[in-house]
Amino acid sequence: MFRGTQSLHEWARFDFFLILIALALVAYGLILIHSGSAVSGGSFTFSFQSPVVRQGIFAIGSVVVMILLSRIDYHALLHYAWWIYGLSIMSLVLLLIVGQTDFGSTRWFDLGIFQLQPSEFTKVSLILVLARFISNSGGDAKNLRTLLLTLFLTLPFLFLVFIQPDLGTSLIFISIWIGMVLVAGVTRRHLIILATFFIALIPFIWTFGVEDYQIERISVVLNAEEDPLDSGYNPIQAQIAIGSGGLLGKGLFEGEQTQLNFLKVPTKDFIFSVLGEELGFVGAILLLGLFLLLIWRGLRAAQFAGDTSGQLLAAGFVTMILFQVFINVSVNLGIFPVTGLPLPFVSAGGSSLLTLFVTLGILESIVIHHRAYRQN
Amino acid sequence: MFRNQRARTTLRNRPRGNLRILWVFTIILFGILIARLFEMQIIHGEEFSIKAENNRIVQTNIAGSRGLIYDRLGNPLVNNTVSFSASIVPSLLPSNEQFRYQIYLTLEKILDLPALEITMQIEKFQETSSSSETLIIARNLSHQQALLLEQSAPDLPGIALEMESQRTYLGGPALSHILGYIGAQSTQEWEQLRKKGYGFNELVGKTGLEAYYEETLRGTPGKAITEINAYGTKIKVLNELATVPGKNIHLSIDQKLQNYVSELLERGRGDATIAAAVVMDANTGELLALVSLPNYNNNIFSSSKRDEEYNKLVTDPNRPLLNWSLNPAAPGSTFKLITAAAALEEGSVTPKTSYNVDSLAYEFLGVDGITYQFFDWRIHGLIDLYEAIAWSSNIYFYMLSCGFPQEELPGLGNDIEQSAVTLSYYARHFGLGTKTGIDLATSESPGLIPTPEWKRRSRSGKNFTASDREWYYADTCFMGIGQGDITATPLQIAIMTAAIANNGKLLTPRLTSKITDLEGNVIEQKSTIFTDVPVSQRSFEIIREGMRRAVENGSASLAKLDDISLAGKTGTAEFVSPDGITREHAWFTGFAPFKSPEIVVTVYFNLGQGNLKASPIAGKIIQYYFNNMRDQ
Repeated sequence: MFRGTQSLHEWARFDFFLILIALALVAYGLILIHSGSAVSGGSFTFSFQSPVVRQGIFAIGSVVVMILLSRIDYHALLHYAWWIYGLSIMSLVLLLIVGQTDFGSTRWFDLGIFQLQPSEFTKVSLILVLARFISNSGGDAKNLRTLLLTLFLTLPFLFLVFIQPDLGTSLIFISIWIGMVLVAGVTRRHLIILATFFIALIPFIWTFGVEDYQIERISVVLNAEEDPLDSGYNPIQAQIAIGSGGLLGKGLFEGEQTQLNFLKVPTKDFIFSVLGEELGFVGAILLLGLFLLLIWRGLRAAQFAGDTSGQLLAAGFVTMILFQVFINVSVNLGIFPVTGLPLPFVSAGGSSLLTLFVTLGILESIVIHHRAYRQN
Repeated sequence: MFRNQRARTTLRNRPRGNLRILWVFTIILFGILIARLFEMQIIHGEEFSIKAENNRIVQTNIAGSRGLIYDRLGNPLVNNTVSFSASIVPSLLPSNEQFRYQIYLTLEKILDLPALEITMQIEKFQETSSSSETLIIARNLSHQQALLLEQSAPDLPGIALEMESQRTYLGGPALSHILGYIGAQSTQEWEQLRKKGYGFNELVGKTGLEAYYEETLRGTPGKAITEINAYGTKIKVLNELATVPGKNIHLSIDQKLQNYVSELLERGRGDATIAAAVVMDANTGELLALVSLPNYNNNIFSSSKRDEEYNKLVTDPNRPLLNWSLNPAAPGSTFKLITAAAALEEGSVTPKTSYNVDSLAYEFLGVDGITYQFFDWRIHGLIDLYEAIAWSSNIYFYMLSCGFPQEELPGLGNDIEQSAVTLSYYARHFGLGTKTGIDLATSESPGLIPTPEWKRRSRSGKNFTASDREWYYADTCFMGIGQGDITATPLQIAIMTAAIANNGKLLTPRLTSKITDLEGNVIEQKSTIFTDVPVSQRSFEIIREGMRRAVENGSASLAKLDDISLAGKTGTAEFVSPDGITREHAWFTGFAPFKSPEIVVTVYFNLGQGNLKASPIAGKIIQYYFNNMRDQ
């Protein structure tokens, strides 16, 4: 209670705008989930089976978690970063043993009332451990040893998620690593060496690491019409949905591609197609605009951060959201293979939503506590 | 204290990260997304809209109800009924091969149709049609099967229970050869019919009137433009183009007479396995009855036991699917009428020309130097042309056709070949050797009129010797009495008889009198079509008189009726059956009444004698006509 007055100041520093944008995205998502799941005409009946209600409940719970997290100094989380890191790896290993397999991929723990997707939370743990490690290694990754060690910290996640197989999340891990080391600072020479190394690695991964269905999905992007009824079906229908939306869309609950079930997984991976069809170019730009604002507020938090670890955390979160948005929307637009990534804040899914609000909570914490660590 | 602990965890370095790089990333990545969005929605939006339309909108043909067929008195001979079918839309089947096969296996259980055959049918279908079209995989399901399929269909994506229009024939087996039946299109038929706008699943006439009048009966199909969802379920009908029902066909056939004649033939056939009869209007060519035995039940083609029953019909040695009134046999003595006409026209005989047939067996030295043995069936004594027709003397007609050289009696021409050519000329003008042109799609045979030229052509090649090709004296002689290579169909004999009865009009026989639309308006009234036979009225009178005497007290006397004067000619044609034994076809052909002929009756049995077997039945048919149909 000795910090009572300080607490008021902390609330004054709380970034309400950031939360407002996130809630706007969630609300946008709820409407689209409703459209994608409605049986007909957009009428709504309350039921705990309804994906809209479930998403709403997850959102409320996630906001509570976010508020609680924002009150905690993020250094407390960084303090336990290694523990969290270890637990994450164990959960991914456990998942491979007892997890729930759907569509040939093991991504969930079935906890009865809902399914837990641990790879969502492991993204946060990777960001925590990278932020702490880089911060403790002089605050940048210009040292080759630091750079390689950060890569080695990333690889277990990458590997464990890749063999689920979940190509999308693997790409997000890589993106987080690249984003964070770039923000921290690397030498141009190291950058070139690493880039060369990765390019050399691609054929190897293609041959030994990628499943047939993944190759199929990739070749479908290159030529979707090749197999319109099998692996090409979803991306083609998504493109037809978005393209036919035109400038203003066909109107909410009026998209035939969505309402007549031509579009598959319209509340999750392909929710952007629902948006593109029913609300058109304008609706899609509005969504991307909201994401831009969100990224802006995230980068503002990074700017405000009192120390390197805070700044890297914020940068990691922004990178994560940015790439997840990019990959998900690219899949919908037919310029990226189908990877099964949700659209942040918008797609139906509790694990994803909770993870995103956890990152927002930590961002708020960074903003609230930045004065305490600002060193002039 | 807590703060101190944290202090040990993380170094407090001043943040100096390069956040600009994330802005650069953001701008590039969002730039890509917006550019692509703009390309898809603004530039190519229209194209995608069309694709979306194609997705959800299907156009289907709605078959118009098929026209009906009525008999002479307006009795319906066919009904349109509903039958159940199983359909598959290949594009709606699961893409996973294993799931697909699972569906086929379920279908196999319900439909009794091997899963492998279903796979093959679908593959074949996809070669010619887009996979979003419907394929009927099994027709005429039993109620049990339909019920099972309806219950299972929701779990079988792409499979549906359909209701199709089928035909139920009301006339009984006696009308099967005339009406024919409808069935699924063969691959070859589909090639042709698709150009006429037929759907692959449309049932079409396969034989009989159903086939001959296919386009008349079919009518114009309508179209439905329907919105469907991704599972092929119909959501709503957006637009509909109404169907125009098929037109109705009115037959000249009298259903009761047809059945009566059929029964008469069945009861009177004895050892004969095949029988046919023609009852025709002597002046118009309208057929009152056209019977062929054995017959079949054409309703089996819309039953669930279709294949089984069809196989039975195809393997039956008497070939019930053939219309025997349109298939040829040696005409025997019925042909003597043509020989008589030819001889009268050529002037080689007069009604007074007589010959003394005082023996059953004759030996003649032919012009070719060979001695032939000729037989007659009865010692006729001294007979003229009338008696020769009435008693059907073979010897007399040999004299007319080939002549007796050693008695210096010439035949029809100067030599035997010319005689044969002359005889064939008249035979052709009486309608033999060519199809009659009856309005039935069933393959009609033209029969055969042999000539020396034909013999040389048809007996050429390695399997024949020079003597096989030679035209012998006996060839002309046998032709004169309707034996040898000559063949004719019962229908041809009927129109030949009609030409004698009506003074030389060779009629094109027809089964239909008119075609009407749904409201009963006459669209087409069939008219009488004929060609002239180059024979004088006087000659016809002489022949008719001979035929009258044949019934009065000659070879056809068993046809004689108490109160009706009729004229006729029997035929007992010898042929060598496949077992090597010589057997006989039985014929009768005639007309009534004698003074002003109204109907022609021709009766044929593949085994039997014309005077004994065919004549009495013809008499009964004529009796029936005068008792029951005259006023109609």
